[in-house]
Formats: sequence, C-alpha cells, structure tokens
Amino acid sequence: MKIRNFCKVLILLTVFWISAGFAQPSKILIVNSDNSVYRYQTIATEFKKIIQQNAYQVAELNLNSHADAETELKQLIQQENPGLIYTIGTKAYLLARDYTHNRKLLFSAAINWRRLDIAEGTYGVANELASAQEISLLRYFLPSIKTIGLLYSDKFSREYVESIKKDALSVGINVVTKAINEDKEIGDALNGLLPKIELFWIISDPVVLSNKESVKTIFQSAQQQKKPVYAYSDVYIEQGAVLAVSADSDTIGRQSASFVLMMDKDKVSEGTVQSPAGSTITLNKCVLDALRLNFNKDALDSINKVVGCEK
Amino acid sequence: MNKYVYNLLFGVLILNSNASAETSAANNDLEKELAYLAAERQVVVTASKMEEHVDKTIATTTVITQDDIAHIGARNLLDVLRLVPGIGITQTQFGWREIEVRGVKTVLSEKVQIMLNGHPLDHNLQNAGSAWVYDDLPVDTIKRVEVVRGPGSALYGANAFLAVINIITQNAKDLNGVQTSAGWGSFDTQQYRASWGKQFDNTAEAALHFNFTDTNGINSPIPADSSSIQGLSSSAPGKSQLTEGRYDLEWQLGYQDFKLDGRYINKKMGTFFGAATILSDDRTQQDYNDYFLRLSRAWKIKDDFTIDTQIFHDFYSADNRWQLAQNQFTRSGFQDMRTGGEIQANYHISDAQAVIAGFSYAKEQQGNLIDELGPDPEHLIPAPSITEERTRKHWGLYIEDVWDPLKNLRLTLGARYDRYNDFGGTFNPRMGFNWEFIRNYSLKFSYGTAYRAPAFGELGLVNNPVLLGNSSLKPEEVKTFETGIVAHPVASLTTQAIYYHSAINQIISQVPIQTAISRYDNSGSVIAEGVELEARYDFEGSLQGSYLSANHVLQHSVQLGQQLADVPRHRTNLTANLAFDNTWSSFAHVLIKGNTLRSLSDARNEVPGYALLDVGLLGKNMFGRKVDISFNVYNLFDKRYYDPAPTSLSFIGDYQMPGRAFFGHVSLRF
Repeated sequence: MKIRNFCKVLILLTVFWISAGFAQPSKILIVNSDNSVYRYQTIATEFKKIIQQNAYQVAELNLNSHADAETELKQLIQQENPGLIYTIGTKAYLLARDYTHNRKLLFSAAINWRRLDIAEGTYGVANELASAQEISLLRYFLPSIKTIGLLYSDKFSREYVESIKKDALSVGINVVTKAINEDKEIGDALNGLLPKIELFWIISDPVVLSNKESVKTIFQSAQQQKKPVYAYSDVYIEQGAVLAVSADSDTIGRQSASFVLMMDKDKVSEGTVQSPAGSTITLNKCVLDALRLNFNKDALDSINKVVGCEK
Repeated sequence: MNKYVYNLLFGVLILNSNASAETSAANNDLEKELAYLAAERQVVVTASKMEEHVDKTIATTTVITQDDIAHIGARNLLDVLRLVPGIGITQTQFGWREIEVRGVKTVLSEKVQIMLNGHPLDHNLQNAGSAWVYDDLPVDTIKRVEVVRGPGSALYGANAFLAVINIITQNAKDLNGVQTSAGWGSFDTQQYRASWGKQFDNTAEAALHFNFTDTNGINSPIPADSSSIQGLSSSAPGKSQLTEGRYDLEWQLGYQDFKLDGRYINKKMGTFFGAATILSDDRTQQDYNDYFLRLSRAWKIKDDFTIDTQIFHDFYSADNRWQLAQNQFTRSGFQDMRTGGEIQANYHISDAQAVIAGFSYAKEQQGNLIDELGPDPEHLIPAPSITEERTRKHWGLYIEDVWDPLKNLRLTLGARYDRYNDFGGTFNPRMGFNWEFIRNYSLKFSYGTAYRAPAFGELGLVNNPVLLGNSSLKPEEVKTFETGIVAHPVASLTTQAIYYHSAINQIISQVPIQTAISRYDNSGSVIAEGVELEARYDFEGSLQGSYLSANHVLQHSVQLGQQLADVPRHRTNLTANLAFDNTWSSFAHVLIKGNTLRSLSDARNEVPGYALLDVGLLGKNMFGRKVDISFNVYNLFDKRYYDPAPTSLSFIGDYQMPGRAFFGHVSLRF
C-alpha cells in the first residue's frame, strides 16, 4: 500500500475515535398501510420531513406494494434493525406489533385505537380528538344542545362511543346511539334516531361511512328533519354539516415526528397515546342561519373557518 | 349589446366554473376521506388477533439491505453477493468475475438474471449475461438486493435460469436531499458518489445518482504464459492488468402515476490474463456502454384491480481490443438493442388470493459490427466479421395465482409461455406451497422450470477458426424442485434448511466437430443438487443491532458422472456484527471454501480450499446524523489463496487472489 493510501486510512481511523461522542439513535421503519390513501400518505410525508430534518435514517414499507407484506416486513425489521417502528393505519399496526421484538412502536391513523391490543413499548397518536374535548367544544359552540345522536358500528367504534357517552353525561348531555352492522341499515336507523335528538354527530366509523350514498342518506335525512349535523371532518361541511372539528393529517404526521424526538430523549412515559395536537374548526354559517341554531357568539373567535352560503 | 351579452355569459361561465371547481374539490376531499375509511374497514380486529405466519413465500430468497451493505463494507455488488448462501464469486481470465450459483458456474454468468429495480440487465445479446458491466456495480446507491435462488422464468422469462438478483436503488423518498460518499482503498481504488432526490408538492419526484469508480486492479502475479514456457518473448512473468474505470448515471423521475427511469454506464477495463494463452500487457482494453430507459405507468382501475404498463429501450455496446500474441491484436465490437413493452394486471380476488397476469413483447437487434486485426494496435485493418447482424422478436404471456386457502397455507401456481421467431416456443410452469404446520415452523416445496435463450454469438458465430455458431440451437432448460423448512425455534432466531435438485438439459456447449474445431450445440446435461443451511440470531436489549449469522452449503453438481470442475463441494459464511451503541458497530466475516476439483483432462492438483477473515468498523449517524464512516480490512491474515484457472491455462497454475486489502468509506447527507 502506498504511503498516500496509508495516510488516508490513518485519517479515517482518527476521525473514528474523535467522533465517538456523537452517538445518535438508530433508524426508523415506517410501515404504511396503503400509501395510495391520501391521509396515510400525508401523514407519512409530514412525518418524514421532520424526521429527516433531524437526520434520522428512514426505511419504509408500503403494505399495498407487496403481495407478501408480512414476510417483507419481517425481513426488513431483521435486516434494517430499526430502533423504532412507526405505523400508519390499523393494518400496519396489527402487522408490525407482532414483530417489534422489544423495539418501540408508535402508531397513528388507526381508527378508534382503544379497540387495538396495545402491547408494552407501544406509543401512539390517536386519530380522533379526545371525546371529552369534542363534547366540551360542542357545548361551548352550541350551548343549548342537550341530546346528541350518533350511529356507529360495534366492531369499529364501540370503545370510542362508550367514551363519548360517559364524557357527555358528565356535562349533562344525553347521547342516543344506534349500532349498525352494515351500511344498508343506515336509512332505518336514522329514521328511528333523528326524531329523538337535537344534533346528529358523524364519527369516523368505516361502516356508517361506507360510501357516498351513505353520506348522502345521512344529510338528506338530517335536512328533512331539520337536524343539524356535527362532523369529525370538514369534508362534510360541503355536504351540509353545520360544524366540524377536524384533526389535521399534516399535524398528526408532524406530531408523530415530534413524539419520536421526545421518545429519544426519554421524555415520554411508556404507553402514552397523544390526542391530535392540531384541529381545524369549521362553521357552516349558511346552515347555522337556515336552522336558526343558538350559536355562542363569543365562540366565533375560536372558529378557524366560516363558510357562507355564497360559493 | 353584443358586448354586454358576451360579458354576461362570460361572467356566468366563470362563476359556474368556480362553483364547479369548488364542488369538485369538495367531492374529491370526501372521496379521499372515504378511501381512508375504506382502508381502515379492511382490518377488523377479531378475538384471535392476527396470526403470525412464518416466511410465506415459496421461493428461497435472501435480502441484503443497505445496512448490511454498510456493515460488510462492500466495494461493489459482488462483495455483497459472496455472502449469500449458494453463491460463489471467482475471477475469469478476461477480467470480469463469474457468479457461481448452486454449484453451476460459467465464464459469462449467463444463467443468472440480474435486474435493476425490476428491469432485466441481460443487454449483451451477443454473449448473454450481465456480469460484463454489473459485476463491479457500485453499492452506495443500493437500498437492497434481493436474491431469489431457483428458476424464475415463469415470471421473468428468459435467462432467469438459476437465480434472479434484483438490485433496488434509492428513490427520491429515500434520498430527500443530497447524499455524497467517497471510498478509498488498496490497489489505488477510489469511488465517489453524488445523489440528489426530492419529492415535490405536485406529486412530481426526481432522483439522480452519479458514481465514479477507478482502480488499478489486484495486480496478481502471473508466473507464465504459453510463450514464456517456450522461451519466447512474453510479458510473463508479470502481473494482471485489471485496471477499471466506470461512470454510472441513474435517474428516476416520477409524475402522478408515470415514471421514467434508467441507468447509463460506461466501463473501461484492462484484463486479468487476456483472451488468448499469452499474458496480455496493458494494451488490451475493453470498453462497454450500457443503458436502459423505461417509461412506466400504474393504472388503478379499482381498489383491488390495478394494471402496470411499461415500454423500454435497452442498449449495450462493446468495443474491445484484445492482445492475442505479443504483436497480434484484434478489435471486436457490436451494438445490441432491445425495445419492447409489457402490460401486467394485478387482481386481488380476496384478502386471501391475488392473481397477476401479463404480456410482454420485445424486439432485439444487433448491428454496427467492428472486426479488425493487425500487429499494431493503433493501426488495425478490417477483418471478416466473427458474428452476424441479427434481429429477434419474441413475446411472452404469463399468469400467477397466490392463494392462501388456510391461514397457515399458501399455494402458488404460475406459468409462462414465450415465443421466439428464431427458435420457437417454450413453456415454463412454477408451483409450490408454504405450510406452517406448527407455529413458527414452515414447510415449503416448489417446482419450476426455466430456460436460457441461445445468445446471438452462439447462433451466429462465423469466421472463427476454432469455434462455429449453430442457428438451430434450442434453449437450455432446467427443472428444479426444492423443499425445506423455515423455523423460528426461539425469538430472534431464524433458521432455514433447503434441499434443491436441478436437472439442466440441452446445455449449449462447444462440441468438437473436427480436429481443433468446435461448434455450439445442445449437448449434455448437468444434475445439481445440494443443501443450504442458514441461521441468524438477532440480539435484543442492550445488544440490539448485533447479530450472528451462518450459512453452509453442500453442493454436488455432476456431468457425465463426474463432479463439475472449478466449483467447491462446500462453502461456509460466518458473520458477526456487534453493535456497541446506536453509532458504532464492528463486523467480522469468515468465508470457508472447500477444495475445488479439476476437469478430467486436467492433471493438476485440486485448488486448495481456504478460510478468509474480513473485519470492519462502522460508525453511523454521526455529527448530527449526517455522517457515516466505515473502515474494512479484507483478508486480514493476508492468506494466499487462488481461484481456479481453466485447463487451457494450466501452465500458469491458478489465479492468485489479493492479500490483505483495505477500504475506507465516508458518506455525507445534506
């Protein structure tokens, strides 16, 4: 070996030792349930932006791109040896949790995370706002509402609905619920429910919101019976919801990334599941006026976006 | 008045278009939200939760990740492949390395299909194989390498004969900025790399990679050649002249569902010994250009039905000057092109069953032949061409069904039919199952056939005094069955034992037709069988990131009742990676190779087996996660070892391989 090469080697070795104090955490494996789904994709993009700005290394697995995702995931975990696995969506979480092998697991975008079997070393960012937060917001904006109704499916939303009922009861609001098993039950369920309530609450239940027809049925029925609709997402404002409090996908992605940074500094208690940190409150003034609802005018300052009748 | 009416209409149109745009955006948002709910709806948590399945694939697959490559301190693709069970790497007299798979080895490695991001790289139509250009592929931009051992023609068509090696490089998402790296090592080796990748808000994305590699080669001593042993003027004793320099440029551009990707390579090299029986001096020069360009689009018809389409253009050219004697040179060159397209439909019948089916078409052309000869390498004169301009068209039709009739059972059934205008059709099925008979213990079985299409050189070699082509050649065929068990006896331990049996028929080989004249013909068969044992243990807790792995291969390849020459009976790889913390880790690899037999006509002793120790130290994510640095020592104990030289070069003994060698590498991310 020439003396020049020997010097290069010597320099490399020297850099090794002087840089030993710069130890950093390891790689993050992102497991995405389906990257073609906009919400999952947005969360992943925002998460990576923050994570990579902090110079973490990222490996990714998109489950819909692999016929045998389970094998793929197992091999990736073994060979990439990530320090943390970040899952987006329920499918990704359920698959990844069996292969964590004492690694930290952070989940997001899983509908009603309370239905999941949360193992030791698991953290999360919830998909829904805390039910207590939503109830108090509703009470603040629409103080005269005393009876709320909602449809849900037992297999996706039971825990969340129970939590809503409990939190509502504590502030004097009665929640009337009706469980359905498939979308074709929606019409009858609404006919039975709407007359008993003052406001209908759309929660993110995949059975209730199976397709556009279901959404149309909900709003047509509510309109016929002159019942306001409160929704978990502002996409329903255009359909006729009077109020929506949305948990932003972008924020969930960024929040998850911040969560990781905090976890690396051991500033997070094990098993913590955070509520979404960012929300957008949208008021449909057009529907509000049409239904002549008693809206707390002092709350207007809290509204992020007001939609009028003119388009 | 007209103007008023016009303005009114225009205003109404604008208002309508705005309202329509807003409604459309709202509908779009609703559709996105419903798509999300639909994705969540697919997953229902039952009381039994999701069952864990051991490795479900029927194929014998090894995946090497970017992390593994960093630990290995790999200098090129072959440094990565040599750790894979069943694969061996040896030197050829021409310079490029040969890839032995499951006990079968040929100089051109034409029985192995190498792919880049799923695109086949067998662009050399004259001689087949991809090792010409891809043996020393730089690894800095590689995300993972997937090695599937066994026949793959049922999916990939021609030349996926003994193995498929798919190299997956970093895309825009992986890069997300600029990455650079540099490596230096023994034999004046230097490597530089620059990559840039970005995803834009409008769904556009771009990734660009540039690599430059240069080395003086391993300078192996060559004690004699056919001239020196006769006392004639010769370069021997001397050293190999395996200088190499290459540029690689790769691009991946995407917009919405479209993607345009490809890679250009220019490689110039000397040679190890030479093309004849005399040691070549530095006047032998090989010059290769290789690129492919692929435009693809994914179409989502329904959630469970998608179609992938692509058109591509491949190019390969060689312009080589070989020294045949002290004062005798030849220059040969050609250009090959393959242009075609493929359409593949993917249908998920249910959560337990998926079917893919596709059609491909390609036209291959060879032209721009160069043939010169003479005593002065700078002033060669035209000579009769040794090959022909040729055109080939072929199409293929394939289908594969992957079905899980039970939670612990996967069945795979596939077949492909290919039709060539020059040698006809070939049908290749593939089938198998993977059954997790006890939790964490799976039994797998597969059967498949594959073919290798005759290369243009084998079909149309002319004007060669010792070897002739044969236009009536049929493809080589292989039938393989393999069975094995994959087990996870304890947490973090993965073990696998595979038995394979391959029958290769209609081998295209050089058959003597007259004294000192041979011709390509479908002649002979080889039975290759063996056992591949693998185990890997990943540590947890404070040793997370550390692992121990081992693979051992016993292989027996027989032709005419004799063990195949130049391949060992057994090979073992032992690797250990010790992670001191999240930054520092050390790596050790021991390669143990058994003795290598000679051919019957070769009186030399067997090539002795050897054990080599490589060690490395890797520091990752330093200086704010922006710097990785590694230093590796190959053949730490400076063991003298040899790769087999063919019988035709028996007078030189064997090829002495490099002693202790160093390689340092620094990678920066911005």
